[in-house]
Amino acid sequence: MSTLVSPALPQAPRPAPRIALWMVLGAILGALVVMVGALFLLPPAVGWWVALAGCAGAAILAVAYAWERHNYGPLLVAPALALLFLLNIFPLMWSFGLSFFAFRANRLAPPRFVGLENYVGVLSDPVVWERLQTTALAVVLTVSLQMVVGFLLALLFEKQFPGRRYLLILVLTPMMLSFVAVGAFFRYYYEPTFGLLSQFVRIFTGQPFILLDTPAGAMAGIIFADAWMWSPFVMLLVLAGLVSVPKYLYEAAEIDRASWWRRFRTITFPYIRGLLLLALLFRTIEAFKLFDVVFLLTEGGPGTSTETIAVYVYRLAFQYFRTSQSAALAYIILFIVIVLTNLYLYFVNRRAREA
Amino acid sequence: MSDLRVSGLVKRYGKVTALDGLSFEVAAGEFFCLLGPSAAGKTTALRAISGLERLQAGAIRFGGRDITEAPVQGRGIAMIFQTFALYPHLTVRENLAYPLREAGVEAGEIARRVGEVAEKLRIGHTLERKPTTASGGEQQRIAIGRALVRRPQLLLLDEPLTNLDAKLRHDTRAEFKRLHRELGMTMLYATPDELEALSMGQRIGVLRAGRMVQVGTPDELFERPDDSFVAAQVGSPKMNLIEGRSVRDGRRIALPFGELEGGPWAAALAAFPAGTGILFGVRPSDIVPAEGEPRGPRLASEVHLTEPLGDVTVLDLVANGVPLRMVLPEERAVRYREGDHLQVELRLENSHLFALDTGTAIR
Repeated sequence: MSTLVSPALPQAPRPAPRIALWMVLGAILGALVVMVGALFLLPPAVGWWVALAGCAGAAILAVAYAWERHNYGPLLVAPALALLFLLNIFPLMWSFGLSFFAFRANRLAPPRFVGLENYVGVLSDPVVWERLQTTALAVVLTVSLQMVVGFLLALLFEKQFPGRRYLLILVLTPMMLSFVAVGAFFRYYYEPTFGLLSQFVRIFTGQPFILLDTPAGAMAGIIFADAWMWSPFVMLLVLAGLVSVPKYLYEAAEIDRASWWRRFRTITFPYIRGLLLLALLFRTIEAFKLFDVVFLLTEGGPGTSTETIAVYVYRLAFQYFRTSQSAALAYIILFIVIVLTNLYLYFVNRRAREA
Repeated sequence: MSDLRVSGLVKRYGKVTALDGLSFEVAAGEFFCLLGPSAAGKTTALRAISGLERLQAGAIRFGGRDITEAPVQGRGIAMIFQTFALYPHLTVRENLAYPLREAGVEAGEIARRVGEVAEKLRIGHTLERKPTTASGGEQQRIAIGRALVRRPQLLLLDEPLTNLDAKLRHDTRAEFKRLHRELGMTMLYATPDELEALSMGQRIGVLRAGRMVQVGTPDELFERPDDSFVAAQVGSPKMNLIEGRSVRDGRRIALPFGELEGGPWAAALAAFPAGTGILFGVRPSDIVPAEGEPRGPRLASEVHLTEPLGDVTVLDLVANGVPLRMVLPEERAVRYREGDHLQVELRLENSHLFALDTGTAIR
């Protein structure tokens, strides 16, 4: 009797995984305990390396665990996660911890726990409030300028005209440049002896013109540079709103004898209202962190008249070396930005629901 | 009351010609339908009359005034769009008041007129809502209301029923007729649906490729189509059009199922040489089962398909390889099954003849 039974295919014997899940979880927990213990009990120079070794051990075990189970997906993501943790999350948490200690990065003295003292110090520091006022002024000026210019540009680019494509590319370019390039560009632009602005003014006054020499001029120079860079962003958002208006509504309004202003108010504006708000919030969040252009153009000067809060944090951290205080201030700023961001997300979601 | 005279309208979009010398006249207070398949130029014609579209040539006179170059706002013409084009961010009340706001109408008068229109169109309950929350039929009536509230002398309607379901279409057709009777304004109605045109239009203009093919009352178009295109457009089920040619002295025509003579077209056909290509047209209702004394030519056919439509049934016949459509009252059609052989008789006195090359009627 012959039955058709296919011979058993030789199967590679799959070794039983040697590393169980509890081992990995245990290792991670162990590493955490080692890390905390080492950082608190051992002197910093030794504790650091012990903590690192603990982390590396847990990581190697986790990699082996995934490798054995042919679970390559998480393995491929892991380097990115590790990098993110190392460069973003760890410093974030580290500085958060640091903000509760008295610590100066240029001294050998180990951090001393002081609780909320840094926060109290920073919030009661009149200089901080002064810098916040400077920042608020810069934010209000640059964001309103961006909104107005961006909005007008969007109205222009909504129309079809010859050369529109090329002009659009040209207008969008500043947004894609790096901050440093923009800063350097405007430095030359405002330069007293051969800068374009100075040369232009000299035609009328015969004197070289040093824009960045006066507090008002320096602020104007910064605002102009920042608005030049970011107006196209507002324009893009508004333009997206403008082109989403169905053409037949305009035609119906024309038949209904509506004036230009009325058409704008009742048809166009409702379509771009949400996007305008988004542009406003997004630009406010960004402008609140205004640093690069200021640092490159004026370094906060003349005096401290253009020193924004972001520049002040930098100075606290890397010039005055009041490291833990700067961490506290940075966290206060982060809190403000998070509040703004949540507002932003709230409006994004509301717009998505409306659509 | 004013009449509309449209002459020689030409509109080209690049290489595409939308209007190719379109001319027609609409009498004051008339309900005039523009009938034609899509891309025949109906919408372009309405948009040109409203002023939304600029023309390359032609003239539009309305109420004795040349409005060819007049701005959209100054024409005193209202329009209802296929998409309704209600303002989504305004309430229904604001939508209805929109055309009056800048026309110098005072607030009390606006409120009164809006209320009046809302009552007439039964949309009072939607006034404080946004139009997007209203049903399709309500949105349609809001769009009508917005056009009527300004009491236009001429109302243009661009396929206003296309976006409604079948039941609503029927109701709204009646609504349009009622409004036209009550308000007595001139209405120009564009539609691809012959049923809408036949049921509402006092006169119908049939459009093809941006030109007017024939203008007439529904009866005229149905009984005396000038063109095979009109014959095919008007009437449901469609007229049977059978290709053939004239023979011998030109008084007879040869069709795939035999030769015919003695139709109302016989005299006119004599002017054509023998062998001229023709289209023989006979409506499905002019084909009957052969019974009793012959009153017309008879031919053998086979029932290919039956389509019961309720009170009538459409029978798809095949006679000597030629498909023929016949329509019978339901009670007479029940005895025929698919595959049955059937002797039918043609009502030759109601038949039509068209030249094959131009489509022009021969009569």
